Amino acid sequence: MVRLKSRYLLCEVNVSDRSQLLLLDDRAIMVAVKAAVARTHGDYGAAMCSIRFCVKYLNAHTGIVFLRFPKRCYKLLWSALPFITSIETRGQKIPCFLNCLHVGVKLRVCTKAQYKGNTNYLQPKTNKQLKKHEV
Amino acid sequence: MAVFMDLNVSFLPDRSDLRSVVETAAHHVYFVNLRVTSFLQEIPTPTPINELIDQLPVVQGRSRPIRVLNRLTVVMSDASHFRPNAPEYRRFDLLAVQPTSEKLFHAACMVYDIDIICVPMTEKLPFFFKRAPINGAIDRGVVFEVSYSAAIRDSTMRRYTIANAVSLMESCKGKVALFLQCFLYQRLDFLALLFGLSDGDAKEAVSSTCRAALLHAETRRTASGIIYTTRSQQEAPRGSADGRFKTGFLYRC
Repeated sequence: MVRLKSRYLLCEVNVSDRSQLLLLDDRAIMVAVKAAVARTHGDYGAAMCSIRFCVKYLNAHTGIVFLRFPKRCYKLLWSALPFITSIETRGQKIPCFLNCLHVGVKLRVCTKAQYKGNTNYLQPKTNKQLKKHEV
Repeated sequence: MAVFMDLNVSFLPDRSDLRSVVETAAHHVYFVNLRVTSFLQEIPTPTPINELIDQLPVVQGRSRPIRVLNRLTVVMSDASHFRPNAPEYRRFDLLAVQPTSEKLFHAACMVYDIDIICVPMTEKLPFFFKRAPINGAIDRGVVFEVSYSAAIRDSTMRRYTIANAVSLMESCKGKVALFLQCFLYQRLDFLALLFGLSDGDAKEAVSSTCRAALLHAETRRTASGIIYTTRSQQEAPRGSADGRFKTGFLYRC
């Protein structure tokens, strides 16, 4: 029985310069999302964001990030994601935008969606696929 | 729907201030509760209201003046701070407890003979709300108090208040066992919507639940024993009363 209900968002961080992706870390993304939510939805949004929000997984090579939101307010917090224009990390500001690919009820579902690797959305970014392209 | 009440007006030592607060309250609510928070070792005795204010203000249109009650809030950081069944508590109409740790919160929900549990809203809570003690408290008739006065002034406090209140609502599944404390005398049921309550629950939170807390407090103060009689099975001998009765006396000290 799932009692504390959450929603997991599978997002992709799009940057113009791919080498800057490697600078990302989960704290930076957390700060950027919280700031965007506070800007867009004010104190109420910031309060809802602080309850059970976290960055569950981040892959700096592919730019895939899993965000967890509480179920009751995930749409509100999701609506603030398009307002993220840059992520500040290690003294640098990386201009980027977040693209949400999939919303799952359990983390496992999101992981499966990631492995399916829908090529319409994801460019070949994994090491395997990069090697394929190199060859 | 029950009337509006304000169950948390801090005690002001200055009489004229107190009088002006009670007069403002009289125009909006029916009950006002003067709250005494004690930081001392001994529990102060509540001053009777007729000593503090000569005559309670009567608002035009209402036949009775506002009722002012006494309330004691015990801020507990240790289990010895709240002594159950202490005689000093009898002089107060409402008894509230503010636990600061998870153990004390559990004890307050399940064991202590109180009416209100104050949950601090202005800081990140050191403990998480668990379903079991909260359901136990609701079954016993203990209500939770959400104070939002700090949220008015400061934006950080507002965030903490909303976050803590929403977590509390999630734990008690919207089963309304709380009332909002304010000193602004407005209709606050819409504010309860912000904390995650539904429309009906929000309305109840500011009116019926307060009344339930008052009634619970009355029973806590007055109900101290039950006498029951049951007819025993033995046949009565001739010449005596019709049936033999067995009596028992249940009491709570």
